[in-house]
Amino acid sequence: MTESKPLLEVAGLTVRYGPRTGVQNVTLSIRPGELVALAGPNGAGKTTFVRAVLGLVPAAEGRISIQGTPLSELSFRERARRMAWLPQEEQPQENVPILDYVLFGRYAHVPPFYSEGSRDFARAEEALRSVDLWDRRDSGIWEVSGGERQRVLLARALTQDAPILLLDEPTSHLDIAHQLELLDRLKRWRQGADRCVVTALHDLNLATRYADRVVVFSRGRLVEDGPPNEVLSAALLRSVWNVDAEIRRDARTGLPYIIPMIPHHLEAPRGASGRLLGPIHVVGGGGAASACLRALHEEGFLLTAGVLALLDTDTQTAEEMGLPMAVEAPFSPIGEEARQENRQLLAAAQAIVLAPFAVGPANLANLEEVLPFAGQCPVYFLDGASLEQRDFTDGQATRVRDRMLAAGAKDLESVSELTERLRADLGRPYRALGNPATPASASPS
Amino acid sequence: MLAGGSSRVADVPKGAGEPQLRASGRRTSRRNLLVILGGLATLLLGSVLLGDVPIPYSTILDIVAQRLLGGALPGGACVTSSVSASRCAILVKIVWGTYVPQVLLGLLVGAALGVSGASLQGTFRNPLADPYLLGLSSGAAVGAALLFVLHIGLGVANLSLPLFAFAGALFSGLVVLLAARSPKSTVTTLLLTGVALSSFFSALLVLALLYNVNGDLQVSFWLLGGLEGATWTQVGIVLSGVATTGALLAIYGRDLNLLQLGPDVAQSLGVNARRVRIRTILLASLCTSFAVAFAGVIGFVGLVSPHVVRRLLGVDYRRVIPASAAVGAIFVLGARDLALVAFPGTEVPVGVPMAFAGAIFFLYLLYRRPTTLGTPTSA
Repeated sequence: MTESKPLLEVAGLTVRYGPRTGVQNVTLSIRPGELVALAGPNGAGKTTFVRAVLGLVPAAEGRISIQGTPLSELSFRERARRMAWLPQEEQPQENVPILDYVLFGRYAHVPPFYSEGSRDFARAEEALRSVDLWDRRDSGIWEVSGGERQRVLLARALTQDAPILLLDEPTSHLDIAHQLELLDRLKRWRQGADRCVVTALHDLNLATRYADRVVVFSRGRLVEDGPPNEVLSAALLRSVWNVDAEIRRDARTGLPYIIPMIPHHLEAPRGASGRLLGPIHVVGGGGAASACLRALHEEGFLLTAGVLALLDTDTQTAEEMGLPMAVEAPFSPIGEEARQENRQLLAAAQAIVLAPFAVGPANLANLEEVLPFAGQCPVYFLDGASLEQRDFTDGQATRVRDRMLAAGAKDLESVSELTERLRADLGRPYRALGNPATPASASPS
Repeated sequence: MLAGGSSRVADVPKGAGEPQLRASGRRTSRRNLLVILGGLATLLLGSVLLGDVPIPYSTILDIVAQRLLGGALPGGACVTSSVSASRCAILVKIVWGTYVPQVLLGLLVGAALGVSGASLQGTFRNPLADPYLLGLSSGAAVGAALLFVLHIGLGVANLSLPLFAFAGALFSGLVVLLAARSPKSTVTTLLLTGVALSSFFSALLVLALLYNVNGDLQVSFWLLGGLEGATWTQVGIVLSGVATTGALLAIYGRDLNLLQLGPDVAQSLGVNARRVRIRTILLASLCTSFAVAFAGVIGFVGLVSPHVVRRLLGVDYRRVIPASAAVGAIFVLGARDLALVAFPGTEVPVGVPMAFAGAIFFLYLLYRRPTTLGTPTSA
C-alpha cells in the first residue's frame, strides 16, 4: 500500500477569508485505504480545509491534486465523480422523497439532457439498503429524524461512486449507537479498492478508535499528523484544546482514550493575581465528601483532603483526582502521623470545608483539628445543622461545631452555595466575621 | 411544448431499481396531470366560445372546425346557421381572426409566465419569486414601450418588440441576481428589490406613455395586460419563443432540483450553480418578454401556478416547469373568461381578475410562511 499513489494531495494550502486566515500552509497527502480523522478545536480550520479540497472556497496559495490531477483542471462534474461530500448540515428547500434525494448523488454520472437510468436506480437502492432506509424511500426528507437524514446524506454520498469521501462532523446529530455504526461503515467502506475517507471529528475517542491517522489542526495550521498512538498526548491536548486530560490505553485494543479532567481550564476560578484558587482542604469520610469533592474539582479549585480512611469512598474519589491527602488505616483512630500530615494540609489551606460525615470517637480529631483555624481562614460546614443526628460522641462533636461557628465558621446548606461562597471569599483577603445567628449556634447543647 | 420535459420523466427506464412503492404516488400524479390537461382543454374550448360579440356557439364551432380541417367540410363555414355569405365572411373574420388568436395568445402567455415563475422559484430557492414580483415583467414592458418612444424598428414591430422587452427583462433579472448574491440577501430583501424595480419601471412606463405623442400606446394594456390585439403572426412568434425557452428550462429542471440543496452541496454533486442561475435567469427573462411584448404585464400567474403544481404533482422541477405552463395557461384563460362574463361589454384587462386572485394568494403564502417558505427546523 505504501507504494500506491496518493488519492488526495495538498501542498502549502492557504485559505483566506478577507483579512482572516482560515487555513495556513497545510501540506497533507492521503493514500488509498486510509481513514483520516481531522481533529482540532472549533474554528481550527478543519471545515475550511475540507471545503477548499472540494473547491468550495478558493485557495489563496498552494496546490490541491485529486488522483494526480490539479483540482482547477477538473470540471464540477469530474470533481463530483472523484469526491463525495457529507456536509455537517443540510437544509433541503423542498420535501423531496428520499429515493429522489439519494438519486441526486448520480447527477455527475448522468449526461446532460438525460434522466437517471436503471443503473442509477440500482446504485441508489444499494446505498439506501446499506443504511437501512430502503423501506422509507417514499418518505419526504422533511419527515425523517435528524439521524435518519444523516444516513440519507451518507447514502447519497455513496451513490456518487467517488473514491474520496469527505465528511464534516458526521456524528454530530447521531446518538452513540449510530455514531459507532456510521464509523464502522466508513471503516469497512474504505477497505474497498482505491478508496479513502477524510472526516472532521470532534470526538477524539472516536477518532482514535476508528482512524488510521489523526491530523490535528490548531488555529489554521496542521500541528500533528500520524497514527492515533503517536499523535495524542496530554501535552497536545493542553496546548491545542486547553484541556487537562489523562490518556489511558484500552487494554483490549491498545488504543489510547482520553479522560478529560477539568472540562475548561480557562473557566477555573482565579484570584486577582490570576492564580488558581485554593488549596481548599476538605474533611470527610464514609463518602460524605465525594459529591462536594467532585463539584469543587469540576469548578477547577485546587483541593486537598484528610484525614480519610483507606478504602473509603471519599479516599477513592480523592485518589482519582490525584489530590494530596492525609490517610489513616480503616476503622482505626486517627494516628499521630496522619494527624501531622493533616495539620500541614490545613495550614496550607485557604479555606476548609467540613463535609456532613458521621462523627464518632475514632474521627472526632478531624473536627477538633479544624477548631484552631476557625477565625483564621474561612471554614464552612456543609449541612452543619444536621450534626446532632450524626454525632456519636455524646455531644462532643456538636460542642466543637458550636465553638467554631462562634469563631466565624459558616454553615451552608448545599454544595452549590459552597462553590458560590468559595468564589466570593477566596477572591479577596479573609476577614473573620462575627458569628451569624444560625439556629444551630442558638440551640443549647 | 410540454412534451420536452414531461415525456423525459415518463421515459425513465423501469429497471430493477424502479421502486414498487412509488407506484401509488406516481398514479396520483398521473391522475392529477390528466386533470390539469383535461381542465386546460375544456377551458380552451370554452374560451373560444366566449367573446365580446354574441355569436351562436354552433357557428363558432363550425368556423373553427372548418378552418382546422382546411375547408374540407361540405357547405361552407356557416353551414348550421342560416346566414348570408357576406355575414359569414365577417363572422369568420371575428372568430378565426380575433377570438382564436386571442385565446391562443392567452394560452401561450400563461404558459410563458408559469414556466418563468417556476424556474425563478427554483433559481432563487424562493417560493415567492415570480416575473411580476421580481420586476422582470415591468422591465420588459418598459423595453417594449421604448420601441414606440424612440421609433426604432416599428416596421418589424412583431420581432423588435420581444427583443426590446427581453433587454428590459434581462436588466431586471440581473439586478435581482446581484441582489440575491449579496451576503445580506434574504427573502425580504429580494422581494423588496423586485418592488423597487417594479415601481421604478412603472414610473418610467407612465412617463414613456405620456410622451408618446402618437397615442398608439395604451396605459391599461401595458400595466394590466390584454389579449385584444392578438394576431396570428404574434401567436406564431410567441409560440416559437415560448416553446424553445420553455423546453430548455424544463430539461434543465434537473439542475434546479439540485440547486434546492444549496449552492455548495449542488456544486459538490457536480452542478455549476453559477452557470445554472445565470442561464435560468436569461431563459426566464426571454420567456417572460415574449409574453409581455404582446400581452402587457399580467401579474401573479408565475407566482401561483408552481404552487398549484407542486401540490398536485410533487416537487421535481422536471415536472413542475412544464406543468406550470399548463396551469399558467388555465389561469390566464380563466381570468380572460371571467372578465368577459362578469363585466360584459366593457374591456376589463385580463390582469385585473388575475391580480384580485393573485394578491389574495400572495398574502396567504406570506402568512403561511413557516410551513410553505421555510425549511423545517428539524424533523
